Amino acid sequence: MDTTTQIIISGLTLGAMYAISTVSLSLIWGALNVLNMAQGALLTLGGYAAYTASAALGLNAPLAILLTVAAGGLFGVAMYALVVRHMLDREGFEVNVIIATIGIGMVLEAGLQKLYGAYPIRQPLTVEGGFFLGNVYVPYNSVIIVLTSAALMLVLAAVLARTRMGRAIRAISQNRDAARLMGVPVELVYAQVFALAGGLSAASGIMLSTITTLAPTMGYDPMLKAFIICVVAGLGNVMGALYAAFLLGLFESTVQFALGVRFAFISMLVLVIAVLIWRPYGLFGRTRVTKL
Amino acid sequence: MNNSGDRSKIIDRRKFLSLGSSLAASGAMLATLNAAALGQTQELLPSVEGMAATGEPIPIGGGVPLTGWAAADGIEFKRALEMACDEINALGGILGRPLAPVFEDTKEQGADNIIPAMQRLIDRHGVHAIINGYNTGAVTQEYDTIADAGIIYIHHNTDIVHHDTVGKNPDRYYGIFMGDPAEYWYGEGLLAFLNGLVDKKEWEKPNNKIAIVTGSQNYSMVIANAIKDNAAKYGWDISLFETVVVPISEWGPTLAKLRADPPAVIAVTHWVPQDLAQFMLQFAPNPINSLVYMQYGPSLAAFREIGKDSTNGVLYSTVIAALQDEIGQAFIKRYKDRFGADSSPLVGAQVYDSCQYYAVAAALAGGTGGPGDEAQNRKISERLRRLIYRGVMGTTHFFYPEQAAIPYPDATNDPSLGMPHQYLQIQDFTKDPAMIAPPPYETAKFVLPPWWKA
Repeated sequence: MDTTTQIIISGLTLGAMYAISTVSLSLIWGALNVLNMAQGALLTLGGYAAYTASAALGLNAPLAILLTVAAGGLFGVAMYALVVRHMLDREGFEVNVIIATIGIGMVLEAGLQKLYGAYPIRQPLTVEGGFFLGNVYVPYNSVIIVLTSAALMLVLAAVLARTRMGRAIRAISQNRDAARLMGVPVELVYAQVFALAGGLSAASGIMLSTITTLAPTMGYDPMLKAFIICVVAGLGNVMGALYAAFLLGLFESTVQFALGVRFAFISMLVLVIAVLIWRPYGLFGRTRVTKL
Repeated sequence: MNNSGDRSKIIDRRKFLSLGSSLAASGAMLATLNAAALGQTQELLPSVEGMAATGEPIPIGGGVPLTGWAAADGIEFKRALEMACDEINALGGILGRPLAPVFEDTKEQGADNIIPAMQRLIDRHGVHAIINGYNTGAVTQEYDTIADAGIIYIHHNTDIVHHDTVGKNPDRYYGIFMGDPAEYWYGEGLLAFLNGLVDKKEWEKPNNKIAIVTGSQNYSMVIANAIKDNAAKYGWDISLFETVVVPISEWGPTLAKLRADPPAVIAVTHWVPQDLAQFMLQFAPNPINSLVYMQYGPSLAAFREIGKDSTNGVLYSTVIAALQDEIGQAFIKRYKDRFGADSSPLVGAQVYDSCQYYAVAAALAGGTGGPGDEAQNRKISERLRRLIYRGVMGTTHFFYPEQAAIPYPDATNDPSLGMPHQYLQIQDFTKDPAMIAPPPYETAKFVLPPWWKA
C-alpha cells in the first residue's frame, strides 16, 4: 500500500513538474506556431529572478513572485519585439525562429551563468515541511506545485476560451491573415502572447527550481520533457498538455519502480512513438487540428 | 576491471619503484627542499628580495571549463594555476624563467571542445606544459594531440581509461600524467573502509547488504561496478543495483525499493550535488537503518546548503582535495585571502600541487621544453615518474607505466608514498565536513548518523 502511495505521489510530482514546464511552450506553439527553444532558459530566468528578488532584494514571497512574473513577461515582450517580430512574415519563418530562439536561450543561459555562477543554489522560496500519508512523506512543496500547475493550466484554458484576448489569439492561431482582415491587431496580440508566455515561464521556473535547485542548466531536461508532452497531447492543446503531463508522470514513476529508473525515459519515448502511430495528431488532438 | 585493480600487479609496480629507489630518494629530497622553499607551510606568500624570476616567460597552459556546467570548478582551476605560477615566480620561476599561465575554454567538455582547446594552447600559445583540473568527455582522445606536440600534460580526470591508454603505450604517451588516482579506487576503497568501521567496532552492520544507486555517466558506473565486482571479496552482498538517468530530482520510486529491503549501506555513486541533496531531503523524513555514502557531491558546499540538516551523517570520500593539516590549512588560507571567502581551494588544490611539482621536475631536468622539444620533455617525464612530492593534497607519486597517482591506503600502506583517499562525514551541516580516515590525516572520529536506531 505504501509503495503504491509512493508511486502515485512521485508520479503526481513528476507530472506537475512537466505540466508547469509545458504550459507556456504549448501556448506559444499553439498560438503562433513558434517552437520556442529558449523555453528552458526562460524557466531558468524565472528561478533566478525569484532568487534575486527574495534573497538579494529581501522581498517577501508574494512580492518576489509578482516581480518575477513581471520580469518574465517583459523578457517575453522583448524577445518578440527584438527578434521574432522581424521574422514573422519572412520565408522560412518556422525554421528561422527555431534557430533564433536557440540563440536567445544560449545567450540567456550564458548571461545567467556569468551573473550567478554555475554553482547550484537553493531556491529560497521553497516551502518546507510536509505530512505523512500512511508511511509516505508528502512535502507541502510538491502539493503546492501540483495544485498550482493544474490551476495555471485551467486559468490559461479559460482565458483562451472565454476572454476577448483569448478569442483573438485563437483567431490568429487558426488563420493569421484572416484574423488581420477581420481587424484583429495581430502584432499586439503576438506581444500579449509572448508577455503571457514569459510570465508563465517565470512562474513555472520558480516552482521548478524548488525541486531541481537553481543552476544555469536547470531548464534543459524539463524543456525536453515539455516537447514530448506537447507532441503527445497534440501540438498547442493546453488542456491536453495538462492531462498528458500527469499521465506521463504517473507512467514514469510506475516504470521506475517496476522495471528500474533507467528504463523510465526509454519507456516514455516508446509510448510516445506508439501514441503517434496510433494517433498522429496526439492523444487529445483532432484530425483537423484546432489548436488551443 | 583492469590491471590497476590487480594487487599482484601493484606489487610489480612496487618492485619497479624499489629499483628506482635511489633516484626516487634524490628526487624526493629535492622535492622536499623545494616544497619547503616554496613556503607551503607558511600562511603568507613567501617572497625573498632578488629571487623573482626575470627571464623569458615560459607559457603554461590551462585547458579548463570557463563556461558550461563545470564552470564553477573551471574558474578554480584557473585561479589555482595563476596562484601556483605567481608563487613559483616569486622564488625564481624555473631556473630564472617565470611561468606565464594562458587559458583556453573547454566549455561543455566533450572531445569536440577539449581537443581544439588543447590544440590552441599548443599552436597559438606554444605552451611547454598543460596543467588541468578535470575535463570529462574526451576519455583520453586528447592524448594524441599532446603526444604529437611532445609536451607535458598533467590532468585530474580521475579516469581509469588513462591507466589502459598510457599503460599500454608508455613510450608514445610519456608526457601524460594523471595527477590523482582513478575513480576505480573509490569502489574498492569504500568496501575496505566499511570493514574498517566494523573491525574497529565503530559501527555494527545490521546485515551484509549494500544497495548501489548509480548515475549513467562513466565516472559513476565505474565506481558502482568496482563496488559490485569486489563486494563478495569483502563479505558484502549487493541487494540493489539501480541506475538512474540524470538529472534526477524525484527519488520516490528508488526510495520505495530501498525501504522495502533496507540495506546496511546505500552507496550513491551519482555525483551531482543538487540531485544528492534532493535524495537526502526525501530520505530523511522516513529514514531506514542504513549508512549513506555518496560520491563527490557532498564535498561541495551546495550539497549542505540545499539539503541542510538532512545531510548530517552522510559519508563521502575524495581522492583529490587539500588536507586539513598544517600544509593544507595554510594553502586554504592563502587561497581564500587572494580569491575571497566564497572561493573553493579544495577544488583548486589539484592544479596548484601539479604546477608545483611540474616546476620541481622541470628544474631538476634542466629546464622546460616547448612543443617539439621531445628530448627535454622526456627528461622532465623521467623526473615526474620518480617524483615523491608532498603537497597540499598529501603525497603525489605515480604508478609506472600508467603514470597515474597512487592512492593510499587503497594501493599502498605507506602514507608517504600515496595520495590519501580521504573519507569525510558531514557531522554538522553548518560546518566543514569532518575527516575521519585514513590515518594519520584524520581529524575526527566516525559518528553514527542521526537517523540510526541502535
